[in-house]
Amino acid sequence: MNLVPRGNNNAPTVVPPRLPMLSRRAFLAAAGALPFSARAFGDASRFIPAIVKHGGRWDVRASGLRRLAWELQRRTSVEVQLEAHPLALDSPRLFEHPFLYLSSDGDFPPFSQAEVESLRRYLTFGGFLFADANDGSDGAGFDASFRREIARVLPQSPPASLPVNHVIFKSFFLLDSAPGRFLNKPNLDACLINKRAAVVYSQNDVMGALNRDVSGTWEFEPSPGGQRQREVATRLAINLAMYALCLDYKDDAVHLPVIMNRRR
Amino acid sequence: MEAFDQWKLVSLSPLPLAALSGLVIALILGVVFACWGVRTEATRRRRWILWTLRVLAGIAALFFLLEPGLRRLQVARVKNRVAVLVDRSGSMGFPVESRGPSRNDAVAKALESLAPDMKALEDRYAFETWGFDPELSPTTPESLLSEPPRASRTDLFAALRAIKAGDSGGARKLSGVILFSDGVDNADLSSGLTGRPKQMLEALGVPVTTVAVGKGGLTDLAIEAVKVDDFAFVRNSISAEVELHGRGFGDQAVQVVLKREGQIVASKVATFKTDDETQTVKFTFTPDQTGRFVYTVSVPVYPAEVVAENNTRSFALKVIRDRVRVLLVAGRPTWDERFLRGVLRQDANVELISFYILRNGNDNSGALDEPRELSLIPFPREEIFQKKIDTFDVVIVLNFGSEDQQVSLVGFRDDIERYVQNGGAFAYLGGDRSFGESQSSKNPFENVLPVTTAGPASLEPFVAKLTAAGERHPITALGTGSATSEAAWGAFPAIPGMNLTRAKPGATVLLSHPSAVVDGAPAPLLTISEIGRGRSMAISTDGTWYWAFPSHASGAPTRNYERFWNNAIRWLVRDPDLTTLSVTADPASVEPGKPVGVVVIARQPDYQPAPGAKISVELIDADDGHVVGQHSALADEDGTMRFEFPPPPAGAYKLVGKATKDDKVLGESSDAVAVRAVGPELADARVNSALLSEIAKTTGGAFFDSTSFSLSDVPLREPPLVEVGRSKDQPLSDRWYWLTMLIVVLGLEWAVRRRFGYI
Repeated sequence: MNLVPRGNNNAPTVVPPRLPMLSRRAFLAAAGALPFSARAFGDASRFIPAIVKHGGRWDVRASGLRRLAWELQRRTSVEVQLEAHPLALDSPRLFEHPFLYLSSDGDFPPFSQAEVESLRRYLTFGGFLFADANDGSDGAGFDASFRREIARVLPQSPPASLPVNHVIFKSFFLLDSAPGRFLNKPNLDACLINKRAAVVYSQNDVMGALNRDVSGTWEFEPSPGGQRQREVATRLAINLAMYALCLDYKDDAVHLPVIMNRRR
Repeated sequence: MEAFDQWKLVSLSPLPLAALSGLVIALILGVVFACWGVRTEATRRRRWILWTLRVLAGIAALFFLLEPGLRRLQVARVKNRVAVLVDRSGSMGFPVESRGPSRNDAVAKALESLAPDMKALEDRYAFETWGFDPELSPTTPESLLSEPPRASRTDLFAALRAIKAGDSGGARKLSGVILFSDGVDNADLSSGLTGRPKQMLEALGVPVTTVAVGKGGLTDLAIEAVKVDDFAFVRNSISAEVELHGRGFGDQAVQVVLKREGQIVASKVATFKTDDETQTVKFTFTPDQTGRFVYTVSVPVYPAEVVAENNTRSFALKVIRDRVRVLLVAGRPTWDERFLRGVLRQDANVELISFYILRNGNDNSGALDEPRELSLIPFPREEIFQKKIDTFDVVIVLNFGSEDQQVSLVGFRDDIERYVQNGGAFAYLGGDRSFGESQSSKNPFENVLPVTTAGPASLEPFVAKLTAAGERHPITALGTGSATSEAAWGAFPAIPGMNLTRAKPGATVLLSHPSAVVDGAPAPLLTISEIGRGRSMAISTDGTWYWAFPSHASGAPTRNYERFWNNAIRWLVRDPDLTTLSVTADPASVEPGKPVGVVVIARQPDYQPAPGAKISVELIDADDGHVVGQHSALADEDGTMRFEFPPPPAGAYKLVGKATKDDKVLGESSDAVAVRAVGPELADARVNSALLSEIAKTTGGAFFDSTSFSLSDVPLREPPLVEVGRSKDQPLSDRWYWLTMLIVVLGLEWAVRRRFGYI
């Protein structure tokens, strides 16, 4: 079944059930009934996550990315394509996908020099990379590989802890933590380019909280927070996508008084 | 007959001074030694007799040595000058008092009455009468009466310096100045005698006697000054302070009106408590358009007023933009919105205010307590589109339609249309929500768009093509010329699709689809239009971000996306640098009686000079649209031409210029110019006795507050120089008695010496 929304202007708008958790059946049914009222130009204008193809296990969270896209479509006004596009970093089509997802459940071999330069250009000119340690590693595995490669890509902008008042934590949902499948690190790390978080890195396997197995059930149980943690992880993923799309919109002066009041 | 009137004693000796000096010293030593020789004389009486005789002998010898003579001199005293300065400025035409003679006539009468006194002093002083306007020129009481004063300004300091400068090289020095004026200086001394002018007058070395011409008691309302900055920021308030002087208006209220080119901007009431009072009326207003505009402050003309022309005063105000204030409204977060936001946020000249619709009415956020869990705020439609829309220079709407009633802008259709018609700038970017297939009839922006929906979207990727108009338009100028711009547009990656639209009549298509056709013409991608006083732009796609991000995939850095949006914003807000025809009033405020100058610069569509372009300029009365004058000529090699219009009546005028070359219109532009009703000279009918008194005090002169005074009370420096005519020397030493006296003294000394027992 094609899950890509192909609605039209005259499609009836149906409010989907307000379900934080859905079974696979309900999920597919709801996806088919989403109110895609009009079409942009092909798929190009939609939010289409791209997955970085590297020498390691790069596709272990494809299901989680699909879930993210679906949640975006369901909860926000963002138009999406559900299936992520796997792309090598030196692919000429990389720049058609400003949101890039890099992950693995272990270490991965170094990027080629062409990939390093392409990723550097991608990030410099506006691309967004979400790096997600699916193994929850710290100092080894994906964490070591990622830090090694990002040091080659952005030697001037090493990953640094992102404060909880960063706009990412309020770009759609108001959040005060950054959990994923794990809660190893309370914060996100980020590489800033001209104050823009070009790279955001989580060691908590955010997409692992959204991943489903082939039978449609959650693949992992978030720890230690269970379902509540999964919901927060989902919201964090949505916030990351919103940040990639809207940048610091929620830092505009018009929003600040309202947000500050709600955070009290 | 020789007439010598002075003499002096001189030495007629032919010997040089050195020889004479040596002989005199020798003679004195001789006398001293001779006296020394008798110092042992026991008898005091004898000693004194010998000393006396020997000294007398020495004096007598000295007399013959120096050969004294009497030099008789003939001298003549030189008459010094006394300058009588008469103010010839326009204000001297005001009456001395109500229903009295003019100040100018009063001066003429005073000069006539002073004539006998001047004649009485003519052996010592030469009286010169000068009028200053402010150049000095000789005048007489008769010419004062026959030639009314007309000078447009009073410059007392310059007149005094000029009259003093006449001293250099001249034989006759200045002994004094008598200055007739009302004291209403509008040059260096307009704010009083202070600083450098005061120091220079102190160093003048000549007493300046000042005579105040005129009295109080006049009835007049005068706008003496309007204090306002030369420029203002659009949509920012600015204040103009009007100094209104009322004479004879005690306990009266006066209506003060501020107009912009015929339209009332504001009015206030000024109430005078006394008969001679200056009221400051402050107008605060907010210019809503960029450009140069003429504002006029006026008060009613009352029948008893001395001067009616000083009841209005015009000034030109250039309105510029501060930062371009951009409102960005996006129907949903998209990559087009993201990269456009990136460009606008990076531009230091842009103040960005943005509102994105982050969720639709049927979206399910999954939050149990949405107000506390979501960062969303209500879309303040009324606040933006009814109250604040005029505060924005540009409104950019991106992929925003009308299907969602919670955020629909259909109810603000009139506000948006009024905003654009009144000079606002509007840009509309495509997408399914903006140019969706069924949007036209419901689209709240329909009336301000340069295009209408023409059918289903084209989903084939394509590279945008420059139209003929786009090749020379500043929005699409990505290079230095049309060829490089065309190459730049061709180098952009293909964008993934576009809405099919058709250009409205009068709209200009700058970019089009290379193959898709609407109504037999290439489907427009970038279309612009002038709507009322505003401008509108439509981009029929939401894929322009392909020009921003995928264009970097090849590795060649390019800023053409940023350049395109920079161009578009500048065109939308009518950046003066983006016009091919520049019309500039020179100067922007014209004094009464002066011609109106205008400089026109014509440029080609590629912004190169347009030599030989046919330029025409019209001077149009801004109040009624009447064409006052017209000029046309061919531009010079720089594409520049300067015109002058004969002095028009006072008021606000527009200068509208057009240029064509090779039957093609290069552009049209305009400027504003204020022709003043009166210059600063006639704006002030008072008599500034304080200034005149200060000048007299500073220079050592006298001050008279009326033209009835005696010349004997005027301090004048005595002529300090005498002139030597002829002289005659008469020797004194060639008389017989001098020689006899010498012989007698010497003989007596010899006889006495022998008598006292000396050899």
